[in-house]
Amino acid sequence: MKKLFALLLALSMALALVPASLAEGNVLRYGTETEVAGFDPHTISSHASLRVMAQVYNQLVDVDEDLNVIPELATSWEISEDNLTYTFHLADNVYFHSGRKMTAEDVKYSYERILNPDLGALGNSASYAGGVASVEVVDELTVKMTLSAVNVAFLSSQSSSYCSIVDKDVVEANEGSLLRADGGTGPYTLGEWVPDNHVTVNAYDKYFDEAGKASFDAIEFYVMTDASSRLNALRTGEVDLIVADTAMLELVKADDPIQVISYQTRDYVGLFFNVEREPFTNPLVRQAINYALNREEIIDFAYNGTAAVSGFIPASLGHWAVDVGEKDYYTQNIEKAKQLMAEAGYPNGFETVITVGLEDGIRDMGVVAEQQLAAIGIKAEIKNEENAEYIDDWKAHNFDIMICHNGAGSDPNRGVAFFFSTTGSANIQGYSNARVDELCVLGAATTNEAEREAYYHEAINIILDECATATVACPMAYFLASPALQGYAPNASNTSNFAGVTLAK
Amino acid sequence: MKKTRQPVKQRPLPGNESTLRLLWQDPMGRAGMIGIGLIIIMAVFAPWIARYDVAQMHARNRLQGPSAQFWFGTDNFGRDVFSRIVYGARVSLVVGIVAVGIAAGFGYLLGMIAGFFEGKTETVIMMVMDIIFAFPSILLALFIVAALGTSIVNTMIAIGIVNIPVFCRTVRASVKTVKSTDYIANARSIGLKRMSILFRHVTPNVMAPFTVQATLALSGAILTEASMSFLGLGIQPPNPSWGSMLSDARKYMEQAPWLVIFPALFIIITILSFNILGDALRDVLDPKLKL
Amino acid sequence: MRDYIIRRLIMLIPILLGISIAIFVVMQLIPGDVVSGILGIEQTPELRAMWEKKLGLDKPLVEQYFSWIGKAVTGDFGESFRTGAPVFPEIMSRFKISAELAVLACIIAWIIALPLGVLSSLKRNSVIDRIVRVVALMGVSIPNFASATLLILFLAKGFNYHTPVKYAGLFENFGVNMQIMLLPALVLGSVMAGSVMRMTRSSMLEVLRQDYIKAVRAKGAPERVTIFRHAFKNSSIPIVTLVGMQIGSLMGGTVVIEQIFSIPGLGQYTLTGISQRDFPVVQGCVLFIAVVYVLVNLLVDILYTYIDPRISYS
Repeated sequence: MKKLFALLLALSMALALVPASLAEGNVLRYGTETEVAGFDPHTISSHASLRVMAQVYNQLVDVDEDLNVIPELATSWEISEDNLTYTFHLADNVYFHSGRKMTAEDVKYSYERILNPDLGALGNSASYAGGVASVEVVDELTVKMTLSAVNVAFLSSQSSSYCSIVDKDVVEANEGSLLRADGGTGPYTLGEWVPDNHVTVNAYDKYFDEAGKASFDAIEFYVMTDASSRLNALRTGEVDLIVADTAMLELVKADDPIQVISYQTRDYVGLFFNVEREPFTNPLVRQAINYALNREEIIDFAYNGTAAVSGFIPASLGHWAVDVGEKDYYTQNIEKAKQLMAEAGYPNGFETVITVGLEDGIRDMGVVAEQQLAAIGIKAEIKNEENAEYIDDWKAHNFDIMICHNGAGSDPNRGVAFFFSTTGSANIQGYSNARVDELCVLGAATTNEAEREAYYHEAINIILDECATATVACPMAYFLASPALQGYAPNASNTSNFAGVTLAK
Repeated sequence: MKKTRQPVKQRPLPGNESTLRLLWQDPMGRAGMIGIGLIIIMAVFAPWIARYDVAQMHARNRLQGPSAQFWFGTDNFGRDVFSRIVYGARVSLVVGIVAVGIAAGFGYLLGMIAGFFEGKTETVIMMVMDIIFAFPSILLALFIVAALGTSIVNTMIAIGIVNIPVFCRTVRASVKTVKSTDYIANARSIGLKRMSILFRHVTPNVMAPFTVQATLALSGAILTEASMSFLGLGIQPPNPSWGSMLSDARKYMEQAPWLVIFPALFIIITILSFNILGDALRDVLDPKLKL
Repeated sequence: MRDYIIRRLIMLIPILLGISIAIFVVMQLIPGDVVSGILGIEQTPELRAMWEKKLGLDKPLVEQYFSWIGKAVTGDFGESFRTGAPVFPEIMSRFKISAELAVLACIIAWIIALPLGVLSSLKRNSVIDRIVRVVALMGVSIPNFASATLLILFLAKGFNYHTPVKYAGLFENFGVNMQIMLLPALVLGSVMAGSVMRMTRSSMLEVLRQDYIKAVRAKGAPERVTIFRHAFKNSSIPIVTLVGMQIGSLMGGTVVIEQIFSIPGLGQYTLTGISQRDFPVVQGCVLFIAVVYVLVNLLVDILYTYIDPRISYS
C-alpha cells in the first residue's frame, strides 16, 4: 500500500506539473450528465441532445420566461378570425449553416417532414404540430398554416425543438436523416462528436439575430456521468459549467468560489396511482395516501429541501397554477388518513409496490414515501427499474404506484389534457372524468385567456380533489459555474441559451 | 530459504477436523477464520446487534457524524449507518453465498457431464462456458438483470451464472484426471456403473480446488454486487447491502466521509478474510494446487 | 503450428453463431425496447408503429435475425437504432481506447505484482510474505468505483488536479492521452495486481519445489540466476494465462471506470446499447469482445511454445 501510495503521489506530482489541456481560444466547456443520442431535432427527445440542438436549430417562434410567445425565425404573424389559419412572416436574413438562405419553402418542407408519417417525428402529435392540415408558401418569406381544429396552444408549442426548421438539401444529402448532420440555422454549427466524451459546436458568423449571436468561438459539451468527477473537474478548472445535483450544493457553499445558478423548473414529481387497479380504484384510498404524505419531509430528503411543494401544474406556470396550499390533503394528517383507509375498507392497510426509475430524486422519494405510507399500514415494496423497463411499464400501465417526473409544458393544454384526459397519450394511470375531458376541449378551443383559465382551473381542481395523483414537488434545476462565467441565466423556457454569456479572463 | 511444507499424504476433506486444525495453526488461516466468523455472527444476530430499524429515518439527524447515539453516524435519510452495516452483512453474505452456490452447483453438474460424456456434449458445454467466460462479468450480470428485472434474487442469479465457468472447468479437469487413473479402469472392469464411480472418486478430488475457488468467488460476488449498485441495478432500496451503501454514499463522500469509510471497511474485511482463508486452505489442502 | 491456428479460428465460427443467436433471443425477451427509449413520454401507438416499421422491428423475428447476420458476415454490423451511426467503426475507435487502457493496466499490475510475488514466494510464510499478501489483497478488496472517486477527490482537493476532460488519442497528443489514461489504469492495475501477485507466488512456489531447481542449486549456480533464469521463466506460464484472461475481461469490463473518468471505451458503448435495447450495438459489441477474447487466448497459447519449448501444437 505504501509503495502504491508513493507511486501515486509521484505520479500525481508529475502530472500536476504538466499543464492540463489549456482551453484554446474563447471556449465554454460544459460538463453534462448524459450522452447525446444524435441531433435530429424532429426525432430526438433526449435531454442531452436537446441541449446541443438548442444551439444549432431555430423554430418559428420562441417562448420567454413568462410564457409569452416571441419572434424567432418568424418576425411577425397573423391569426385568422376563426383561429384556424396562421400566417408567418419570416426574417429576411436567415442562413442555414450550408450558407443557403432560408425561405418559406424550407418552412413548408420542415413541417411536411414533421407530418410525414414515415418519419415518426415527435412533433407529429396533438401537443405540437399534429393539428396542421396544410402548409402553403405565400411568397418567399411568408408561409401560411391551416389547422384542422382550433388549438390555442398551437403557437407557443411551435417553439419546441420538435418543430425546428431544417435544411431540405442537408436532409436529402443524408438520406433523410439528420441524426449526425447539421441542417440548422442556429448561432452555432455542429462540430466534432466523440460519443461518450464530447460534442463541440462552433460559432456561426452568419447568424441572423445580432442579440442571439454566439459569444464563444465554441461550446464543448462533455459527457461526465459521474457527479463527483463533474464537480471536481469544475473545481480544478477543467470545465466552466456543470449540471449539478442538490447534494453538491452543500459542498460548494463553504469555501469554493463557485457560482450556483438555478431556476424553478416546470416539472413536477409525484406518486401516480394506477386507478384501474384495486385498491386505487377507490378515491378514498388515494385521498388517504395524499393525507399520509409529508411533502416537506420528502423534499428535505430527496431534494435537500430545495424544491417547492406543488401540484401537477406548478406555480412556475403562473396564473394557470392552482394553489395547492389551500388543499387540506396537501398537509400531512395521519389520523384523517387512517380514518379514510378504514372508510375505504382497509383499516389494516394493504400491500403494494412502488415503481421507481433510475433518477436519484425519484428513487429517494420512493424510499421516503415507503416509510410514510407505513404509518397508515400500507406496506410498500420498492421496485427499482432500469430505464427501458420503467418506460415500458409506464406505457403498459403496469404498476400500482409509480413515481414520475413529468414536465408540465408551457401551456395547461399539455399539463392537463396530455396527462389526465381520457385519451391523453400520457394518461398512464387510466384516469377518466367526463367533465375534465369536456373542459380540455373547451380550453383548447377558445382564445379568451380568462375563459381558458376558468376552464383549466376547474379541471385542475377536479383532478386534484379526486386525488388522481399525489404530486409532491416542483424541483429546482441547478448548475454550478466557475466565477468567470457571466450572463448565464437559464429559465424553464430556455435552459440552454448561451447568447451573451461570457467568460471573464 | 525456508523449507516448504511436506505435502500432506492423505488429502483431508474440508470440514474434516484435521483441515480446520491445520487452518487454525496457520496464522493467516486463523485471521481469515476469525474475520469470517465475526461477519457471520453479525449477520446471524443482526436483529440483536442493530440499534435501529434499517429503514427508520431520523429527519433531524441527517448526515450526522459518529456519536454515542449513532455509532457509525447517519446517512442522508438520517438512518443509522451502524444498523445498516449490520443488516448489510446479511444481504451481502446471502448474495455472495447463494450466487456462489448457484455457480458451484451448476458448475459441478456441467463439469461432470462434460468430463464424463466427452465428445460432442463436452464440446458444446465447454463452448457455452467459453462464451460466458469471454464476456466481462459486470456486463453479463447487467444483461441478465436487465432481462430478469431488478430484484435481490435476480442479482444472485446473475452473479451466479457469471461464475459457473470457473467451477465447471475445475470439475471437468478433475474428472479427466480421475478417468485416466488406473483405479477407475479397474473399477470399471468389476462392472460398477461408471457414473457412480465418477461421482464417488471425483467428488473428493475436486473438493479441495472447489472450496478454494468458492472462497475467491464469494469475494468476487460481493464486489460485482457493489459495481452493479454503482450502475443503479444492484440491491433494491431500502434494503442495505454494503455495495449499495457505498455507491449511494459517493455523493456525500466529502461532507460525510463516514458513509464511505464504514461500508468500505466491512467490504475490505470480508473480502480479505475470504481471500486469506482461501489461500490458507489451498496451502493446507494441497500445496500443489494452482489457482 | 499454422494448422493449429487455423483450426482454432474455425472453432470461432460456431461460438460466434451461438453468441449471436443467444443475444438475439435475449434481446427479444428483455422488457422494454429501443422505440420506448426513442419516443419516451411522447409515444403514441401511431408513432410506435412508424418506428417499428422504420427499424424493421415489425418483420418476423427469424427474418430480422437473418437480415442482420447476412450483413454481419460481410463485415457490416449495421447502424445503431438509436443514433444511426455505423456500429463497426464505432467499435473499432473504442477498441483502441479500451485496448490501451487494458495494456496500461497490465503493465502497472506487473510492475507492482511480479517483484512482490517473487519476493513473497522466496520468503514464504515470513512476515514480509504476509504483509505483501495482505497489501495485494487490499487492492482487490476495494470496489474500484470507491477507490477511483477517492483518487479524483484527493487529486482535486490536494493538488488542484483533474484529468483532462477532452479525450485525445494516443497518437494525437501523447501527453494529454497519458494524463487521461494513467489514473484509470492505475486503479484497474492495482486491482489486477492482487491476482497476478498471487499467481506469481503460487507458481513460483511450485517451480521452486521441482527437482531441477535443486539440481541447479546443487551445481552451485548463483541464487539470482537460479531464481530468474530458471524458476521465474518456468513459472510464467500460469501468469501469462491469467493475463490473457484478464485482458479479455478488460474489454468492456471497465465500464465503471470509464464512467468515472469519462473515457469513451467499449464498456460504456455496450452498456448504453444494453440499456437502450439497441440491438445492433449490443450484438456488435458482444461478438467483438468474444473475438478479442478468443484471439488473445490463442496468442497466449502460442506464447507458451516460446516460454516452454516442450509445448507444441502439431
